[in-house]
Amino acid sequence: MVQFHEHIISDLLEEDPTSKNNGGLVILSSCLAVHKLIASLLTLHSSTEGTLLILNSTPSQRSSIIQCLELQNHTNLPLEITSELSQTHRHSLYTSSSAFFITSRILIVDLLNDKVPTSLIAGIIILNAHNLNETCTESFIVRLFRGLNKVSYVRAFSDKPNAMVAGFGKTERIMKCLFMRKLHLWPRFQVYVSQDLEKDPPVVVDVRVGMSGLMKGIQKAVIEAMDACLKELKKTNKVDVDDLTVENGLFKSFDEIVRRQLDPIWHVLGKKTKQLVMDLKTLRKLLDYLVRYDAVTYLKYLDTLRVSEGVRSIWILADSSHKIFEYAKMRVYRLVQANGEKLTVPNKSVGNKKMKAKEDNSSEKEVTNASSGVVIEEVLEEAPKWKVLREILEEIEEERQKQAMPLEDDNAEDDSGIVLVACKDERSCMQLEDLVTKGPRQVMRDEWEKYLRDKTGLHGLQTRLQTRKGKKPKYNPRGFGILDGKVPAMPREHAVASSANRLEHDALLAAASSIKNLSKDETIVIGDDPQPKGGSKGRGKGKGKGKSKESQGKAKVSPSKEVLTRITRKRKSEMAKSDNERGKGESDFVDAEVLSEETETSKSVNNRVLPIHNEEVNATEFPHVKPLPPVHFFALDSDQHILDILKPAIIIVYHPDMAFVREVEVYKAENPLKNLKIYFLFYEDSTEVQKFEASIRRENSAFESLIRQKSLMMFPLDQDGHCVGPATISEPQDLTSQNSLTRKAGGRKEAAKVMQVIVDMREFMSSLPNVLHQKGLRIIPVTLDVGDYVLSPLICVERKSISDLYQSFASGRLYTQVETMVRYYRIPVLLIEFSQDKSFSFQSASDIGDDVTLSSIISKLTLLVMHFPRLRLVWSRNLYATAEIFASLKANQDEPDVEKAMRVGVPSEEGIVADDVRAETYNTSAVEFLRRLPGVTDSNYRALIDGCKSLAELALLPIDKLAELMGGQKAARTLRDFLDAKFPTML
Amino acid sequence: SSVQSAQTRNAILVSHRQRGNPLLKYVRNVRWVFADVVCDYLLGPNSCALYLSIRYHLLHPDYLYFRIRELQKNFKLRVILCHVDVEDVVKPLQEVTRTALLHDCTLLCAWSLEECGRYLETIKVYENKPADILQGQTDTDYLSRLSHAFTTVRHVNKTDVVTLGSTFGSLSHIMDASMEDLAPCPGIGERKVLQHNCIIHNSLSVRV
Repeated sequence: MVQFHEHIISDLLEEDPTSKNNGGLVILSSCLAVHKLIASLLTLHSSTEGTLLILNSTPSQRSSIIQCLELQNHTNLPLEITSELSQTHRHSLYTSSSAFFITSRILIVDLLNDKVPTSLIAGIIILNAHNLNETCTESFIVRLFRGLNKVSYVRAFSDKPNAMVAGFGKTERIMKCLFMRKLHLWPRFQVYVSQDLEKDPPVVVDVRVGMSGLMKGIQKAVIEAMDACLKELKKTNKVDVDDLTVENGLFKSFDEIVRRQLDPIWHVLGKKTKQLVMDLKTLRKLLDYLVRYDAVTYLKYLDTLRVSEGVRSIWILADSSHKIFEYAKMRVYRLVQANGEKLTVPNKSVGNKKMKAKEDNSSEKEVTNASSGVVIEEVLEEAPKWKVLREILEEIEEERQKQAMPLEDDNAEDDSGIVLVACKDERSCMQLEDLVTKGPRQVMRDEWEKYLRDKTGLHGLQTRLQTRKGKKPKYNPRGFGILDGKVPAMPREHAVASSANRLEHDALLAAASSIKNLSKDETIVIGDDPQPKGGSKGRGKGKGKGKSKESQGKAKVSPSKEVLTRITRKRKSEMAKSDNERGKGESDFVDAEVLSEETETSKSVNNRVLPIHNEEVNATEFPHVKPLPPVHFFALDSDQHILDILKPAIIIVYHPDMAFVREVEVYKAENPLKNLKIYFLFYEDSTEVQKFEASIRRENSAFESLIRQKSLMMFPLDQDGHCVGPATISEPQDLTSQNSLTRKAGGRKEAAKVMQVIVDMREFMSSLPNVLHQKGLRIIPVTLDVGDYVLSPLICVERKSISDLYQSFASGRLYTQVETMVRYYRIPVLLIEFSQDKSFSFQSASDIGDDVTLSSIISKLTLLVMHFPRLRLVWSRNLYATAEIFASLKANQDEPDVEKAMRVGVPSEEGIVADDVRAETYNTSAVEFLRRLPGVTDSNYRALIDGCKSLAELALLPIDKLAELMGGQKAARTLRDFLDAKFPTML
Repeated sequence: SSVQSAQTRNAILVSHRQRGNPLLKYVRNVRWVFADVVCDYLLGPNSCALYLSIRYHLLHPDYLYFRIRELQKNFKLRVILCHVDVEDVVKPLQEVTRTALLHDCTLLCAWSLEECGRYLETIKVYENKPADILQGQTDTDYLSRLSHAFTTVRHVNKTDVVTLGSTFGSLSHIMDASMEDLAPCPGIGERKVLQHNCIIHNSLSVRV
C-alpha cells in the first residue's frame, strides 16, 4: 500500500455521526490499484461488524484481490457466492460474518425471497461503479437493502473516470440510486497521489523507433480513410460534429459517442450512414493492429476483412483503402518474373529490405509458376520494434554482467532480476517469445507458411459467396465522391481472369502447394506448428486434440502448471531439432526443468496467477548471438497484476499503455529502494504516441468535469438525514394502486394488498424487475419454463426487446415459446418492449419497400399473429411504460399462483424439487449456442445438456451417442455433419 | 355473379366508413373493394381488422370499445390496427392495449400509413401460408449458420468467424481449441478468447 491509499481509506471511513454518512463513491484514476484498496478494506473488516458483500466484481479483480491478501498473509480469504451453492448453504454464509464476493443476480433473488438477514450485513462494496445506472440490479439491491437496513455502509468504487462522465449527470444519478452523498475524487494529479508517485521516480528510457516507410504509408492511408468517413458522416447532418475528430476516433468510446447521438434516429438512417459508423470501427482496429501485428498477420487480417466485409463496406472501395491493401502486401511479398525482373510497381519504401534467399531452402522461396513465369518473391518485413527490443535486451545483459562481478551479494538479493516485457495481448507475447528464441527470420517464415495455407482456404470461400449471391450486384459500382471517387481496385477485382491478379493468385497457390509438399517431406519445418491445417489435417488434428484434452483436465486445477509443462514440451522438441548441439541441448533441457519447478513452487503459493510465459534464454542455443537476460512476457489484456509477484528490475513497455504505466508507478512507490528502469518503445510519429498522450489528456479532463459536477450536486434527504432514493421522489408509490382502484367504489382503500408478479430468474439480467418493484409490485423470483412473467392465473407474458425479437424470430425460438404459452395460458401475451433511447418504431416509412417480403419484420409478426389468433401483443415504449401496463392489466385479475406457474411446461417426471434453482444453474450463453446448432431442437436440447458436460465434449461425441441423446438418427446426423463440415476451402 | 364472388374472395372488403382513409392509397399489392361489412377491413372468412388512429382515440376514447362490441364473436382473428400518429404515446397506447387485450383483440402498431397498409396486405397475402419460416428452418448456407451460432459469444463478429473457420478448419476443431490455440488468431483479443472459452469449456449445467 502506498501512502495515498491510506488517505483514501481514512477519508472513506471517516464517519460523520451528524450527517449519517454511511457510504460513498470513490473515483480514482485508472490503475491506481483498486484491488489493493479493496484488499486493505477487507483486512480492516472485523467479524464483529457482520458480513461484508462485494458486488459487481470481474474475475480478474477477484483474483488480484485474493492474490493481494495472500501476499499479506491474510488468512480469511473471501469466498465466492454463486448459484452453485444451495440456498441453505448461502444462508449460513450470510450469517457467518466474513467477506464474500457475490453475483448480483443471486443477491437480488435472495433479498426478494427474504433469505438475507440484512441486519447482519456490515456493508456492501460495489466495484466498477461506472457500469451502474438507475435501473440496474445493483441499484435494486441497494434500494431493497436500504429499506431494511439504514445503518450499514454501501461503498462504490470506480477507476474509469472517463466512463463516469459519459452521460448527462451520470455520476450524480448513480450516487442517487445508491443512496449516497459523498463523492471522493482521487485523480492522478491530486496532491497526495502525485507526491507519493513522484517522490522517487524510476529511470525512464524513451525509445522512439521509426516506422518503416510502408507502415507509414498504411497509417496515412487509414487515417485518410477515417477522415473521409468522418467527413461523410458529418455531411449527413445527423450528428454533432464537435466530438467527431480523428483523435477521438482512435478510442473505443468514439463508437459510443456516435451511437448515443444516432441511436434515437437509428432507424431513419440510410444504409450508408450505418455502414459509415461500422467502417470507422473497422478502421480504428486497422490502425491499432498495424503497430501490434507483424506484416504477414496484418495482411491476413486484411484478407479476412475483405472476405467478410468486402461486399458491404464503403471504405474498402476507396482509393486510400487500395493503398492500405497494396502496402500491406508489399510488406510481405512481391511478384517478379522468373528471370528476376520486377512485375509490380517499384518499391517506394526505404526501410523495406529484401531478404536474401538462403541456398539450402531456395526451393520454397522462389516458386516458379510454369505457365506464366511469375514468381512470388518474399519480402517479409520485420516489425522495426523487434530489432530494437533485441538490442535493448542485449544491452541489459551486458550491463548486468558488468555489474554482477563486483556486486555478487547484492545481486542475489535483487531477486532474479527478471526483465519484464509488457505487450498488449497474448498473441504478441507468444510471438515475441518466439522472436527471442527462434530469431525474427524464423518467426516471419512460420507466419508466412501459415498465411499461404490459409490463403487458399479464404479464396475458396470468396468464390462460394460470389456464386451464391450471383444475382445481386456484388459491388457498389461507385465509391464516394469524398473518398476520391476513383475505384481502382474494382475493375481488377472483377477481371480476375485476365489481369495480374490472376497471375498473383496462381503464384500464391503455387507457393502454398510447394510449402505443403515440403511439409510432407520435411516434417521438422512445421512439425511444431500447433494448429491443424488444411492439407496436413489428419496429423495435426490428432496432436492438437491430445494436447487440449489434457489441458482441459488440468486447466481447472492449476492453469499455470499446464502452461509450464507445455512450454517444457515445446523446448524438448526444439532441443531435438538442434541435433548438432545435442549435448548442450540436454543440459539446457535440465535447466528448463529446474526453472519450471522453481516457478511452480512459487506458483503454488499464488496459484491464481494466470498462465505466464516464462522463458529463460540461454546463450547455448544461439552461439552466434549475444547473451540475453531472463525475459518474462506479459500480456496487458490479461488484467493481471504481476509486478508484485515477479518483482522485475527492468521493464520494457513494448506497447505503451497508460494503465500499465500507473501500475508501474504504484509498484515503484511501494518499493522505493528498488532500482527500477523502464524502457518505452514508441513508434515515432505514430498514432500509438498520439493515443497514449490523448488518453492522459482525456482522463484529466474527465476529472476536471467531475470536480465541477461535485460542486453542483444536490441530494435530497429525509427527516432523519438519510438519503432519499430517486424512486420515491419521482414516482409516488401509490399512484398505480390509485389508478387501478378507481373503478372500485371511488378508490376506497383496499386492505393493504400488494400486487404480485412472478418473474423468471433469467429476467433479472434485465432492468424490468427493478422498475416493477419501484412501481410497488411485489416480485417473486422463480424458475419458469413457460413465459417470463406471470401476472395472473390467466396472463403470462413473454418479453422481447427489439433485438431479442429479431433474433428469436430468426432462430425459430419465438414460435415455440408462443406455442407453449398458448397451450398453458388463457391469455398469452407477447410484450414487445422498445428502448427509451431508441426510436419507437421498427422502420421508417421509406424503408418499407414496395412488396410483401418474407424477411420483413412486418411479415413475420403478421404470420405469428395469424397462426396464434389468441396471442395478445403488447407494445411498450420503455421499461416504465411496461410497468404501467402490467399494473393496469393486473387490475381485476387474481394474483398468480407460484407453485402452479413453476410447474407449467416442465416434463412431469422431472417434478419440482423444493428449493429448485434449475435455470439459474445453466450456462445460459452456452445453452443458447447449443440451441442454434442445426439438429438441436426445443425437444432434445435438455437431453444434450444432461448428456454431455460442455460444448467441447459435445464436439467429440460419436454419432451413436448423439443419436441416443437426441432421440433420432436424423437429428444426430445433422448436428454431427455441421460440426465436422469442413470450413469452405479450395484445396 | 360467381365471377364477382371470386373477385371479392381475393380482395380485402373495405367498409364504407373507411372511405377517404389515406391508408387505402398504400394497399397496392392486394385488390380491395368497398362493401357493407361490420368491421373496417374484412381480410378473410375468419379475420378482420379495425383501424384506429391514436389521435382519434384521444378525441373519442370510447370509440374503440363500441366498435369491438359490434364485431360480436364472428371472427377468429380480430386485429386492431393502431396507427401511432402522436408523439406522447404512452398513456393512450396503454388504454388501447388494455381494451384490446380484455376484448380478445390482437393489437398491431404501425407508425405510418405505409406500414398500416402493409399489415393489411400481408394478412391477406399470407392467408394460407404455413408458419414454417417462423420455425427457424430457413435453409441458410454454412457460413451464416455458423455466424449465427457464434453471435451468442459476445464480441465475436463475422470477421472473427471467418478467421476462426479458416484457422481451425471446422466447428468441432474450433470447439476443441484451447486458449493458447485461439490467442494467435488476428483480431481475437483476450476478451473474446475468455468469452469463447467460458462458453465452450464451462459445463452446460451445474446441478446442485
